[in-house]
Amino acid sequence: MAQEQAVPSLVTPAAEYSLRKRASVWENVLKFIRRKPLGAVGFLLIFILFAMTLGTPKLQFGVPELPHSPLGFELGKPLLAPYDEETNFKNAAGRLNTHAEPSAKHWLGTDGSGRDNWARIIWGARRSLFIGIWALALATAVGTSIGVVSGYFRGWFDTGIQRFMDALQSFPPLLTLILILTIRPFTTEPSLVVAAFALGFVGIPSVQRIVRGVVLSTREQQYVEAARVIGATDARTMAYYILPNIMASIIVVFSTGLGVVILAEAALAFLVPQAVPPEGASWGLMLDQAENDGLATHPWPGIASAMAIALAVLGFNLAGDALRDVLDPRLRLG
Amino acid sequence: MQQYIVRRILLNIFVLFLVATMVFGALRIDSDHVVNTKAAGCFQPGADIEQCKAVARADLGLDSSIPKQYWNYMTDLVQLDLGKTFSDKKPVLDEIVSRASPSIELGLLQIVVALVVALPVGIISAVRQDQWIDYILRFFTIFFLGIPVFVVAVFVILITSRWFEGTLIADWLGPHGLGWVQIWENPIDNLQRVSGAALVGGMATGAIVMRFLRSQMLEVMRQDYVRTAWAKGLRERVVIIRHALKNALIPVLTVIGLLLGTVISGNVILETIYSIDGVGFYVTSAALQFDYPVMQGIVLVVALLLVFINLLVDIAYGWLDPRIRYN
Repeated sequence: MAQEQAVPSLVTPAAEYSLRKRASVWENVLKFIRRKPLGAVGFLLIFILFAMTLGTPKLQFGVPELPHSPLGFELGKPLLAPYDEETNFKNAAGRLNTHAEPSAKHWLGTDGSGRDNWARIIWGARRSLFIGIWALALATAVGTSIGVVSGYFRGWFDTGIQRFMDALQSFPPLLTLILILTIRPFTTEPSLVVAAFALGFVGIPSVQRIVRGVVLSTREQQYVEAARVIGATDARTMAYYILPNIMASIIVVFSTGLGVVILAEAALAFLVPQAVPPEGASWGLMLDQAENDGLATHPWPGIASAMAIALAVLGFNLAGDALRDVLDPRLRLG
Repeated sequence: MQQYIVRRILLNIFVLFLVATMVFGALRIDSDHVVNTKAAGCFQPGADIEQCKAVARADLGLDSSIPKQYWNYMTDLVQLDLGKTFSDKKPVLDEIVSRASPSIELGLLQIVVALVVALPVGIISAVRQDQWIDYILRFFTIFFLGIPVFVVAVFVILITSRWFEGTLIADWLGPHGLGWVQIWENPIDNLQRVSGAALVGGMATGAIVMRFLRSQMLEVMRQDYVRTAWAKGLRERVVIIRHALKNALIPVLTVIGLLLGTVISGNVILETIYSIDGVGFYVTSAALQFDYPVMQGIVLVVALLLVFINLLVDIAYGWLDPRIRYN
């Protein structure tokens, strides 16, 4: 009896364990939705945002500068049929269809130049995500490097870098953005890449501060000490022992940061429209335009762009909060 | 403690020196633009544009070498002279001081609104954790955290101007156009100019404070000394306010201090939307006109405010919580 069980007990339980305990992706997703309903709403909003951007060119959502129908195609016509500009450009009286109220043709109405608000929102999502992802890529790459090195070595090196970051952070962010976007050597006229660079640059101090804080506690862990005992160099310790263990924090910083950057870009475009590139359609520029056209009389472009900004930022905030709780509770506030 | 304060002040002075150098350097990367703009004003057909540029350069004090300019700038700075504005040659310091009162008033009111909202809401939400009132309050917090200030402000202005034009609501929540009345001249007009912006900004700031206060309260309510207070048979109000809230407020105070720093140093977004002629509004317009002395001055004043508010917050923290020692 005892012998019979001895052999299988060595092999099967492990195999069974791995078969039984490993929850499927869907089970994990369901568990996440049940435990963090608000976070799930956030991820849904982000998913919609990405779906909108990826679908834009394929579904031919029109061109942001031209008037067009809501889906870019008319029901009953082939999906990718060339778009009939004429019928949508003009209204029944043969004039530009400006400041139209929402209808089946223009889901969110049109703006002062007769452009479809819904299509501009979708193109704006493309622009916001482009700027947001590149800005965050820069901010997290540079911020993480600085934060890890500064937190790892500590001492005078750390103090110097931190004071330098303090100095950088005490610049009003809007001023830094305007300066980078208008300084000649960088750009003759504002472009999306420069805008992304500027927003990423402004984000570096706060990213590196968060990363440094996490590194300070990680470097005291025993496995880091063990790595040093077996003779790992400083560079190796940072790259192979510390970095993988702070990855969760970096992911959280990235996702919350995206919301912040999208908001900052919209705010910049809204406050200083002349400083941002006009490429594509910008939610912030739309809101600014709507305010100039008179929100009280023609509210639709304003409502559309404000809702887009609010929902995108809300989505990233909710998702970031939930991610933080699940991945790295250390980062919770301060 | 005294040693700590002295060391922090020395570090702060070093940070301010860095800020001054950085803003000077950043603005000298591209000084052609402002010279060209200025030179375009004097240019007449047949005249030599280079001559115009030289005149403009001398006029703006950009004609000497960069190290010379830097030396002059630093020596002026030590004597608290921030230079004169490019646009109309007025002393920068006076211009900033004249715009400080709207910014400070807006910032302080914003913090007051935030506290009035956040304290009761945070306490109730923590004490009644996971009951319906907690869910409702948290929903509103997330709403104000998630939705950008300028979107809320635009909607408030839209609603007041569309449906409440000419009523008391529009007076208190709507924008009033540029111009500023000191509070001792006409208190009602003065408050009406900032009340809308303060309310919108205060709700957003309040949401941050409330969320932080709630998590602190939840932690404190689980402490042994709070259980002891309950066990002694104290009334709920006494336990919550005197035993729990007092301890939960200490970390919240740092958050408020940091918010105070950012809020007072010029709330660019709200000042622009509500046309309040404060520091934030001024720095944006200066940046667009390449008015170097104004930008340098405001950056320095803001940095000064920020580093010393941070220092005060840290000192207050150690004073309120004796467990914290600075060596």
